[in-house]
Amino acid sequence: MRPAFLIAWREFAENAKTKGFWLGLLLFPAIITASIQVPIFLEKQGTPTRRFVLVDAGGRFAPLLREKLAADETRRQEEALRDFARDATRQETLAGFIDPTDKQLDLARWRAAQGADWLKVPGFKPPAPRFAESPLPDDIAADAQPDEAARRLRPWLRGERKLSVDGKEASLFAAVLIPADLVELAQGDGTKDRRGIQYWSENLADIALPQLVENTINAELRRRGYTARGLDAATVQSIERTRAPMTSLNPKKAEGEETVGLADRIRQWLPSAFVYLLWIAIFAIAQILLTSVIEERSNRIIEVLLSSVTPGELMVGKLLGIASIGLTMLTVWIGSLVIIVVWKASGISPAQAAASGGMAQLPGDVATLLRTTWLLPAFAMYFLLGFLFYSGLILALGSTCNTLKEAQSFMGVIVLFLMVPLMLMTYIPRDPNGPLATALSWFPPYTPFVMMNRVTADPPMRDVVGTLVLMVVATAGVLWGAGKIFRMGILRTGQPPPLLEMIRWLRS
Amino acid sequence: MIAPVLELRNVTKTYGSFTAVDDLSLSVPAGCVHGFLGPNGAGKTTSLRMILEIIRPTRGSITLLGSPSALAVRSRIGYLPEEKGLYKKMKAWAIIAYFATLKGMGHRAAKARAFELLERYGLKDFAEARTEALSKGMGQKVQVLAAIAHDPEFVILDEPFSGLDPVNQTVMEDIITDLRKRGRTVIFSTHVMAHAERLCDRLVIIAKGRKLFDGTPAEARETLPRRVRIQTADDIAPLRSLPEVAGLLPMADGGCEVELQRGADAQAVLQACFAHGIRLRTFRFDEPTLHDVFVKLVGPDAKEAMYR
Repeated sequence: MRPAFLIAWREFAENAKTKGFWLGLLLFPAIITASIQVPIFLEKQGTPTRRFVLVDAGGRFAPLLREKLAADETRRQEEALRDFARDATRQETLAGFIDPTDKQLDLARWRAAQGADWLKVPGFKPPAPRFAESPLPDDIAADAQPDEAARRLRPWLRGERKLSVDGKEASLFAAVLIPADLVELAQGDGTKDRRGIQYWSENLADIALPQLVENTINAELRRRGYTARGLDAATVQSIERTRAPMTSLNPKKAEGEETVGLADRIRQWLPSAFVYLLWIAIFAIAQILLTSVIEERSNRIIEVLLSSVTPGELMVGKLLGIASIGLTMLTVWIGSLVIIVVWKASGISPAQAAASGGMAQLPGDVATLLRTTWLLPAFAMYFLLGFLFYSGLILALGSTCNTLKEAQSFMGVIVLFLMVPLMLMTYIPRDPNGPLATALSWFPPYTPFVMMNRVTADPPMRDVVGTLVLMVVATAGVLWGAGKIFRMGILRTGQPPPLLEMIRWLRS
Repeated sequence: MIAPVLELRNVTKTYGSFTAVDDLSLSVPAGCVHGFLGPNGAGKTTSLRMILEIIRPTRGSITLLGSPSALAVRSRIGYLPEEKGLYKKMKAWAIIAYFATLKGMGHRAAKARAFELLERYGLKDFAEARTEALSKGMGQKVQVLAAIAHDPEFVILDEPFSGLDPVNQTVMEDIITDLRKRGRTVIFSTHVMAHAERLCDRLVIIAKGRKLFDGTPAEARETLPRRVRIQTADDIAPLRSLPEVAGLLPMADGGCEVELQRGADAQAVLQACFAHGIRLRTFRFDEPTLHDVFVKLVGPDAKEAMYR
């Protein structure tokens, strides 16, 4: 076996020296980190305060909107102060107001004690407001009708004229124009040919402001409607809040743990990520395998090698070496994923996670998942078998090709073939133990993909053990056949052999 | 005679209906440089590959270094294939060392040996260069060094001279001569007769898969009648009756070639000329060359090789 290991080592060392390897190695964690950190960074940087004007011809909604915006701003400031207070080193000023149980700032007590100065904490910089109302340019009346106001505001909205804010120029981000007869419009009389509330902005992607306006005004209109019909607004509100509680439960889980939470949903979907990973890994490695075998073939180095080692040793060596490259890449990818997840999870307390809803809980859930299921070992098993299966196949095909171009046509077929598990990936988690998933699990080329999708859904032991055994047998079969084709194909010159001839090689 | 290190017995290789090597038998004694001559497509490379057990003969048996399987004794064999190629991204020394380790050498020893060989054959400055940066000739030398780095007893070189400039051809000859001095057995194929003439202790000529000749270069020459070339204005008819002379062949330029009987002394012809008062303008006695032998034996098949 020494020659096989020597060949494997050379394959590993030579590939590990390539730029592509290091790029692939580092790019993945870099992209993951970036996709987590960039939004946080952007959030911290904050979008600049956006200036808008508000023209309410009827004058009935403007005060309400301003009140709502102010409340929104206060909530953001409170959140920022809470975040600030979380860092233990900064808590001296706030020390008396930290809740000893959950280490959170008791905002109500702090605000009551500080009054209007509640934001004045040394070292704390309150976030800049997201939206700020600007005074109307002089020639526009505060009660102008929307069409008139829009016409006059156009130069500002298009950036041709600038606002003056504290002596500095600022551009107008948006205009909110409310017609005087909005209440009547909302009753549904002739709304079809009227625009109603007009939201003017070059940036229609940022929907925070128009949504706030729409929600606030609609809520107010409904409140007035209730009052007009003699209904108590408070009563209506309490009725609207009625919710029948509903919980999803999984009967397979231990008593007391049946609740289906986010972790369970991740448990269902995370394997898809791993299937992708395997898919990418197979193709990244396929390229290396093909290049490597075709280089030796076209250089005729193969002859020197075959005078020193048997075709079997050569094939095993190449597989081992390139598999190690793939595994190294995969290990680094998964390792970095786990490190990032754990790092992100450690920075968030459970209370905070609960407060900010599901998304913040995600990293923690993933970490728990990785700790508690046999996902990683299962993934490793199916990956290894799937990898050997396909690389044997690819190596055998590569050994019959003189150029990468010839090999690409074979690869095209394999790509198409492997599109199927990728497309099925969205269906299988929905019914992980259904007939389709079960049937495909027993089709060796798809077994690793489908089973990886199923392992978190507690498939029957029979399926797990059975497919693993089948996969081992199938992989051994492919490697045996690949050895035969490799042996015959490797020295063949000229066109790639027709399929029939390859089948004959298998039988010889 | 010493026991042969390589013996082929009735080896035949067929691909479908095509016979690449036809009933080839051959015996190569230890320590000799053995030429493998033949036109393109003669079956040289196929024979060499069979000797190396890269491919298996359809019929017949091969014994190499006392073993029926070349793979069993592969660490004692060195091989330079016909088409030359190296891993482009590897350094010259690393390739030599890699192939040496595949043949069983330890890593450290292989590395030391690689540098030693590169220095000895004038490639010291290129030891650290990637092979893609080497010229074709340098690359080929690196490959030969890789083939012999593990100091094999038996070396097979398939067309070692092709693509080399005259200087590097000399280096290649040196490498082969060095191997012989150290008692190694070398088989090399070529269709450049000059190299075979200078280097071979024995040679085999094959065409269309069949062996046409097997023996020493001297024996090869003896397969051709020796000829004396004379030019004279006088009548040469009296020479015809000499027992040493097999025949007279008039030449286009007015001269004549006197074909000698096997084993005859050309001196007798000269004496007869004096005796009969034939005044010679030219009297030239040349041994036949391997080139002549090759052309004679291979015939029309050789044409392709000549024009290559």
